[in-house]
Amino acid sequence: MDEREAKLRSSRRRMVLQAAIGTGIGLSLVSAFYVGASLRPKQEVTPEKEPPKTGDLLVFAQGGGEGKVITLDDLKPNAAPILAYPMDPSSKIVKSGEAKNTVLVGRFNPDELDEETRKYAAEGVVAYSAVCKHLGCIISQWKAVSGGGQEMLFCPCHGGAYDPRHAGRVVAGPPPKPVPFLPVKLEGGQVVVAGDFTDKVGVEASAQNCCRMA
Amino acid sequence: MFQWFDERLEISRLYNKFLRKAFPVHHSFFLGEIALFAFVVLVLTGIFLTLNYEPSIREVNLPDGSTVPAAYASVLYIDSLPFGAVIRSVHHWSAHIMVAAVFLHLLRVLISGAYKKPRELNWLIGLGLLGLTIVTAFTGYALPYDNYAVTATRIGYGIGASIPFVGGAIAEIMFGGEFPGSTHSVPRLYSIHVLWLPLTLIALIGLHLLIMVKQKHTQPKYAEKVAPGKILGVPLYPQQSVMMGILFLVYLAVTVFIAGAFIAHPIEAFGPPTPQTPAVKPDWYFLWIYGILQVIPSEWQFRFFGAVIGPEFIGGVIVPGILGAVAALLPFVDVSKDKVRYLELPSEHPVRTSVTLGVLMFFIMSTLAGYKIDLNLSNAVLWTLILVVPVLTGVVSYILLKALYGRSWERSSAEPQAAD
Repeated sequence: MDEREAKLRSSRRRMVLQAAIGTGIGLSLVSAFYVGASLRPKQEVTPEKEPPKTGDLLVFAQGGGEGKVITLDDLKPNAAPILAYPMDPSSKIVKSGEAKNTVLVGRFNPDELDEETRKYAAEGVVAYSAVCKHLGCIISQWKAVSGGGQEMLFCPCHGGAYDPRHAGRVVAGPPPKPVPFLPVKLEGGQVVVAGDFTDKVGVEASAQNCCRMA
Repeated sequence: MFQWFDERLEISRLYNKFLRKAFPVHHSFFLGEIALFAFVVLVLTGIFLTLNYEPSIREVNLPDGSTVPAAYASVLYIDSLPFGAVIRSVHHWSAHIMVAAVFLHLLRVLISGAYKKPRELNWLIGLGLLGLTIVTAFTGYALPYDNYAVTATRIGYGIGASIPFVGGAIAEIMFGGEFPGSTHSVPRLYSIHVLWLPLTLIALIGLHLLIMVKQKHTQPKYAEKVAPGKILGVPLYPQQSVMMGILFLVYLAVTVFIAGAFIAHPIEAFGPPTPQTPAVKPDWYFLWIYGILQVIPSEWQFRFFGAVIGPEFIGGVIVPGILGAVAALLPFVDVSKDKVRYLELPSEHPVRTSVTLGVLMFFIMSTLAGYKIDLNLSNAVLWTLILVVPVLTGVVSYILLKALYGRSWERSSAEPQAAD
């Protein structure tokens, strides 16, 4: 390096210039992160996206009777569980705007249920989250997974099967955890929500809630 | 006329510099071109689709009184336009052809050793192009917003969300909030599908081609006999251009025929989204991941610094990730001194060829696992098939290659040919 270059390197003018460039890049990176954080949309909780709460009624999610309240007469023992959404009883708003609110409600002989399941059931009526713990499909089928065995809640996406008589435990396929209960009670023949989901609904590892804009 | 332009733009210098580029003639060299044609057709048909598509899930009423998402209704509208359904079908089938062509192009480069120095960069760009092609295809899944599309995309969201620590954030950025449900999802996926990924693809394809022009094609084996040490091929203009033009027209004819005969993704058959999960199978290029996801049992999970490493992360991210990483490292591991100017014959590189066939068999067996429920196969059988058959394939191909070509290996090692 020649003399001129050496002089320039130690010159104050060049230092100020470099500091200015550094500050500019640094500040623009910080602001870029701030703008970038908004790539993760704000969560807007509208009435039809609210989670189920105690006192909500369960209504049909499909099958022509959408929005009709599910009564004990609709639930045949050991029949295929019904896909349902919670409905706010006062505003009559069906909370179908959030897939995680989809619930399976079925009825079984109370003697067949294990102790834990009985705790969240009412007269054999038991409700589970319908969102598969594997990759979040709706568990929409009811079929026997082993030859001659009992029918189970079956997710057609990757073949996960849950036993509704035994606390939703996984009996086949890849799901990492049982589906959580939605505790229910019976009031005047209608199925009523009696509490929050007993565990996290849906895919497991997405529990982290990092870097969200307030 | 030509002279008028030439005096101002120096076209003849461009011609001498680029349009005389030598293209070796070999049937396996058209795979990359087919991928390029598929991409061009995707862009052109895609422009038509964007002009008529509405990226929104607001509810609209159909004449028959039903309420459906606007995106779904706009696809019905596209299908009602003259040739609309055919153009949408061409778009769909071209996506399949592009994925297939890119993959076969990669295989051709792999088994002929064309990834070696100095072409490591183009190998990496090519891998990136394969990944981007598949991601672009996937972001297009959700856009018709029918029941099938929503279920398939939901699985993708689940896989993204299963990444420890950052998965939730990544999935929500990609899908514009939780999928399904968020009203931002379809606009977000739409923008990614029609703008950002295609722009990235165009940039990378441009770079891929520029590097290819700069480094020149690998020469087919026959060039070594015909004119050793020389670049052999036909010039880009006019010979190669004519061949490309013909191939493009053939491509168009075939895809339009397929699209007209087999209308892709008939959304009316699937209907608008309902809570009823249809029996979805992903497109063929995802079937192997789908198969792996089905055979990984629920017990495969552990905690890692507080995050859950679950079967969906192992099957959906780690397994494809390992394969991608091995492919990316290949040109830096396989630095054996070979004549990089000429294609290597698969028969003369038995280890690489047998391993490649083994990996292909792994894909086929994992795809078979995708039919686990339909074929009523048990995990034990499928795991045996997935692990044993690829290894057997590799060993058997090595033995066969040795039996068929072993004598010529000895000859080539006995009289080493001069490196170029």
